[in-house]
Amino acid sequence: MNTDELQKFINECKLDGNKICVEKNLHETLDFLLNNYSFDMLKSITCIDLSNGQFELIYNLYSTENEEDAVISIKITHEAESIADLFESAKADENEIYDMFGIKFIGNENLKRLYMPEDWDGYPLRKDYIQDDTRLAWNDNNSNNA
Amino acid sequence: MTITATTLKLNLGPQHPSTHGVLRLILELDGEKILSCEPDVGYLHRGMEKMAENMTYIQYLPTVDRIDYLAGCFYSELLCRTVEKALGIELSLRVKAIRVALLELNRISSHLLWIGAFLMDLGAVSPFFYTMRERELILRYFEKLTGQRMMYNYFIFGGVRKDIEHIDDIEEIIKILPEKLDDYEKIITNNPIFLSRTKGKGIIEPHIAINNAITGVNLRASGVNYDVRSNDYLYKNFEFSPVVINEKDAWARYKARILEIKESIKLIKQALEILKKEQSLNQNLINPLTIKLPDGEYYHEIEAPRGMASIYIKSTGLDKPYRLKWRTGSYYSVNFLRSLLVGEYLNDAIAIFGSLDVILPEVDK
Repeated sequence: MNTDELQKFINECKLDGNKICVEKNLHETLDFLLNNYSFDMLKSITCIDLSNGQFELIYNLYSTENEEDAVISIKITHEAESIADLFESAKADENEIYDMFGIKFIGNENLKRLYMPEDWDGYPLRKDYIQDDTRLAWNDNNSNNA
Repeated sequence: MTITATTLKLNLGPQHPSTHGVLRLILELDGEKILSCEPDVGYLHRGMEKMAENMTYIQYLPTVDRIDYLAGCFYSELLCRTVEKALGIELSLRVKAIRVALLELNRISSHLLWIGAFLMDLGAVSPFFYTMRERELILRYFEKLTGQRMMYNYFIFGGVRKDIEHIDDIEEIIKILPEKLDDYEKIITNNPIFLSRTKGKGIIEPHIAINNAITGVNLRASGVNYDVRSNDYLYKNFEFSPVVINEKDAWARYKARILEIKESIKLIKQALEILKKEQSLNQNLINPLTIKLPDGEYYHEIEAPRGMASIYIKSTGLDKPYRLKWRTGSYYSVNFLRSLLVGEYLNDAIAIFGSLDVILPEVDK
């Protein structure tokens, strides 16, 4: 997509509060915001398990030049585009999300276990991580017993 | 016999004293030159984010001080403020002044410890005793006020646990500190050995720092004016100017922290003036057992001593958060080592790593 098309694409994205919800073209969108609006710092990437098989990724961007924030959100299933070539710090965030949620970032070759041991099974921050402990509130089926 | 050039793999840590906790750096060395650096973290992982999903907000509050045990107030403040924002609770002027005074005291104690530990990394032992002596005054004060020396658990949703006491102790501390800072500067700042170990070492260009999401003092020492306190609701009634210097090296990061302490002293002075004028506490406390955040997402950020820290909470209207995420400054600093240390010498690596002021519980969460 060229610049005008991207601008149009971003303008047509849905807004959820202050969040810009994109459905595709994540890499292109962030690239565009970096080069045209100088959103040069990626403060953090947050991942949320929506418990319907989908995950939401939230990108908190900041422009040191204009002192502005931008929040981009995208819903994915188990794979996402890596933006590590745009922001060095994304490597750290993507690795953490891979370790905790098991999401593959296409284009990031260095994904490995971070906090968890290398032979660890499962992804702890997923909502279905532990299914047989009735005391745990994060387990949907057992939330009445909590 | 033929000699072949090979590289050496060296494990720095996880029990090395200069790693300030439990960080393992896997270095590849050619002689003393670093070819690659791979940080290995996770020795202190406590699952802070997963824990939150199974705890009510008041149950979770005492644990958040442990994210950074040298600056616990900041994380309590983050959680408290986010809940207050979600429930629409406003703080009175006195509560804000109490929080600013304690946050800044906490920042000073954290920076003092860093100065001592950094100099110890470089081989100078005596500054450690001096800075610990002054830090002890602050810890004693916190112990008097909250009963705790490090994990205070003093802020609560809607205010503070009890009104501030022994204000004259704080006055005493901020009266002594500037003289002591001058003493430190006399023995450290222009010390030729210190200069040769830090001047021009570990230079971070501003655009690289921004791209690596380095925040806080480390970013401001590279000449970028980004301080969350400038827009923070707590600091609205305070006069404050961020410390920005342009040297970009390890020495600059030391100097910036000294200047930050001076700036913090100014903020505490202003807070004490408000405390003397504003005598009524006027707390808007809520029953902590019934806290339920409305359905939605909440985000707040704060200037912690080791960079910008932020919290994200997604609530589904229950008494426990659906998802809680911490962003901490140290995590990005450690990951930055990967590119920062390449090409440096092993003996400078400790100085450069030390100058970033990393604390491991913040990295591992």
